[in-house]
Amino acid sequence: MATSAEVRSILDLPAHQPIAGPSQPKKPTASAPRKPEGISRELYSLIGPSSTTLVAQFAKPQLKQKPTFGASAKVKWYRNFLFMALYLMLRREWRSFKNGGRADSLQLNHWTKATSDANSEYQFAKYNVQRPTFTYSDDEYNSLLQEEGWTREETDYLMSLVKDYDTRWYIIHDRYEYPRPEDSPRSLEDLKDRYCGVCRKLIRNRPWTGDDASRQALLAGFNFEKDREVLRKKYITSLENRTPQQIAEEEALYVEIKRLEQNERRFKRERDDLLRTVAGIESGLPDVVEDDAQLAGILADPKRKKRGNELDSPSTPLSAPSFKRTIKSSAQDIQHCITRTEPNGTFNKSHQVAYLRSFKIPYPKAAQAQKVVQAMTELGISSTRLVMPTAANLVHLENVMDAATNLVETKRNVDRVEFEIQVLRGRLGMQTTAPKNEDGEPMELEDADGEAEPEEGRAQSVVSTRSARKQHRRSMSISSVDTSVSARKRQRK
Amino acid sequence: MVNYGGDEVSALAVDIGSSSVRVGYAGDDTPRAVIPSSYGYHQTLPDTDTTMQDPAEAANTFQRKAAKMYLGQFGPSVWREGMQVGNPIQGGLISDFEPVTALIRHAIEDVMRCNATEHPILVTEPAWNTPQNRERMAEIMFEEFQVPAFYIANTGVLNAFAAGKGSALVIDIGQKMASVTPVVDGFVLRKGLAYSALPELVHSNAHSLLKSPTQHRPGIDLFPHQLIAAKSSVEPGAAPIFALREDRVRGTTDSWRAWYEAREVDEWIQSVAGVLEQGWNDHQVSARPPKQYEFPTGYTGWFSGERYIVGEQFFHHSANMAEAWARQMNAPPPKTMPALISDSLRACDPELRQVLAGNVVLTGGGSLFSGFGERLYTELHRSFPHLKIHAPGNPVERRYGAWLGASVLGSLGTFHQLWISQEEWKEHGRAIVGQRCK
Repeated sequence: MATSAEVRSILDLPAHQPIAGPSQPKKPTASAPRKPEGISRELYSLIGPSSTTLVAQFAKPQLKQKPTFGASAKVKWYRNFLFMALYLMLRREWRSFKNGGRADSLQLNHWTKATSDANSEYQFAKYNVQRPTFTYSDDEYNSLLQEEGWTREETDYLMSLVKDYDTRWYIIHDRYEYPRPEDSPRSLEDLKDRYCGVCRKLIRNRPWTGDDASRQALLAGFNFEKDREVLRKKYITSLENRTPQQIAEEEALYVEIKRLEQNERRFKRERDDLLRTVAGIESGLPDVVEDDAQLAGILADPKRKKRGNELDSPSTPLSAPSFKRTIKSSAQDIQHCITRTEPNGTFNKSHQVAYLRSFKIPYPKAAQAQKVVQAMTELGISSTRLVMPTAANLVHLENVMDAATNLVETKRNVDRVEFEIQVLRGRLGMQTTAPKNEDGEPMELEDADGEAEPEEGRAQSVVSTRSARKQHRRSMSISSVDTSVSARKRQRK
Repeated sequence: MVNYGGDEVSALAVDIGSSSVRVGYAGDDTPRAVIPSSYGYHQTLPDTDTTMQDPAEAANTFQRKAAKMYLGQFGPSVWREGMQVGNPIQGGLISDFEPVTALIRHAIEDVMRCNATEHPILVTEPAWNTPQNRERMAEIMFEEFQVPAFYIANTGVLNAFAAGKGSALVIDIGQKMASVTPVVDGFVLRKGLAYSALPELVHSNAHSLLKSPTQHRPGIDLFPHQLIAAKSSVEPGAAPIFALREDRVRGTTDSWRAWYEAREVDEWIQSVAGVLEQGWNDHQVSARPPKQYEFPTGYTGWFSGERYIVGEQFFHHSANMAEAWARQMNAPPPKTMPALISDSLRACDPELRQVLAGNVVLTGGGSLFSGFGERLYTELHRSFPHLKIHAPGNPVERRYGAWLGASVLGSLGTFHQLWISQEEWKEHGRAIVGQRCK
């Protein structure tokens, strides 16, 4: 679909103006700054009038009234325009180039953008970076670089290899084929040591133009401790030469250590539980915290294992400062209505996560939730949403909820007992009126009794323990600050 | 392209192997021309060849200038009266440069239809190539093909490049040679190089397996299609019914017969043989399903145990097999794969061993046995727990790994300063090859 002008420009023919055919009237050439017809203003402002080849194109569709096959002149124009633009942009040439990295005059060919500069530097020549190499004069060698076991020739050979292989030491060692008089091949470390030694001496003894820091940095780059390297290689070799049995043993030992650590952790947890049950949380608090801190260190420091097992160890500096702070600032806290909660012993301090108090709103037990909520809504309290979930409010809410739960529970028990009484009464009445059936019913009755009674007892005991526990916790949460503070005050006194 | 450091100068990559010669444009992903390395030739022109050639003499006069060569697709595989078949590659190295020149010319001019004088050429060489050989190759390229620039690169390095690695332990199993090459930063560690003619032993084992009768079947005749006039289908395991083309049998040379028999064996190996992933285990072998294969004679057989015996030779020789080989070749049996690998790694720096074991590249057409990679992993995993094997799943990548690496290298912008140019060749002569191609 290329028009004649496009073909001309593709072929790089000089004529920018289309040559008018005999049938065509002579076309008035569009003056450059005027926006040509048939192209939108936005597009024109983008291209600008500078591109003369394009401007020559603009007037084209006006003149040639070709039949439009479905596409309007405008669409066709756009198509041609895009084609041209792409062509100009992406046109490439098979061009020969000279590589700056080469010493000779080899000219290879490659495809490049026609728009790029033909004389520009080859873009990959810049990667041809040579590492600075050290050379030395005879005087320098004789005065500085002489070393036992190395001849001048061998040193030269080494330096040339290092230059050839860009200090890739494995390769240098591999290609090192200097005829050695004795039967001791040079090891990689020998070569590296010699090279670094030569470089260090040259840097130290030559005048230095830069600052001292850069010189030190350069020297550090050539630092090489041969003995350490040899030892390290030896370790690697011995690590590799382990027999499968040794590896298995090592693995078994590792598993054993892991197991011991796990045991230690379990013991610790169990002891914590025991402490809490026996001594109570409030009294045992400092001890527990201390132990935690100490036990945490066991894993890191196996030497402390023995001490970790002692129960009442003296307070470590880790826990001490926090208490001091509490005492000092307690007056201030009261003044500013700051409530501090003590870590409750089961976790390490570092393990205590921050939480919103609203997350701690008590919920009724699932079994009675509906009734409890009902009872509370009767009182006009929303159990799920507290407007201000302060500590005090939460305690209140918990009290109310406990009371409601107890109430519901009691109500249920009362209902049941009443129902049972009713049933028994009914049966009693039936028995007195109709004593005939002796086969099954008394048995049933006994069964019912036997079942009912212990269940009731159990339920009661559960309730009682639960309430007792709750009471306990509540008291703690309310008075934790005061008690702990006062307890400590007492201790100090 | 610029982002990847590529800059194509329409270089040609030429990879010469024991089985085929691969030629293509550097930058492509498959070679354009793949022709067999073997070639057919007539000692004298066929018109005058009326008397049969003495086979022993034919083998001895291998080096004699061939009157006519038949190369490429319709070269050795076509039956011609009195045509010998030769292979210029021995032990992975070029032993006869005359046919190699003809092969390269055929691939470049007749198959790819391009002019060698316009393209820099990158040739591959095995790691154990001799300096004389590579200099001779450079001479051929500059003097006979008049290439503008030339470079010769190591197949091990190129295989590592094809896998996208600078450092790797390249395990290359070709048709005739298996090699283990440690490559560090694009250089071969020559001291760690290990290679053996193991694939040849595997092949001869398969050959004798097929030829020798077992209790279930007779020995199998390995006649090529070209020599069979008629055959009828028979039940699996039954003796084949076929008629030979007597007119051709008379004019068939021994080298052509041997070449074709080897080809039949190779085809059988390629379609049937495998390697047990977890080491040899009689129970496992019997549990695997047998495979059917039909030979040109019409003989059809089910192969179960034999399939795995063939592949097992890569890892473990049976004693009598090794002995037979030693007697036949007058040389110790080639080393097995685990032996080659451990030899290679033992020669490397201890620090490098783990690095190399983590970058194993498995390549070469001979490694395409089913289960080969898994078996190699099981064998090596015991001593190298961090072992990682890179084995391209694409058979083309596996077979033409070295060519692919050459294609990558030859289209790199930073590589173009390494070419040995015609000018440099004229100035420095042969010595430049050893200096430039390290």
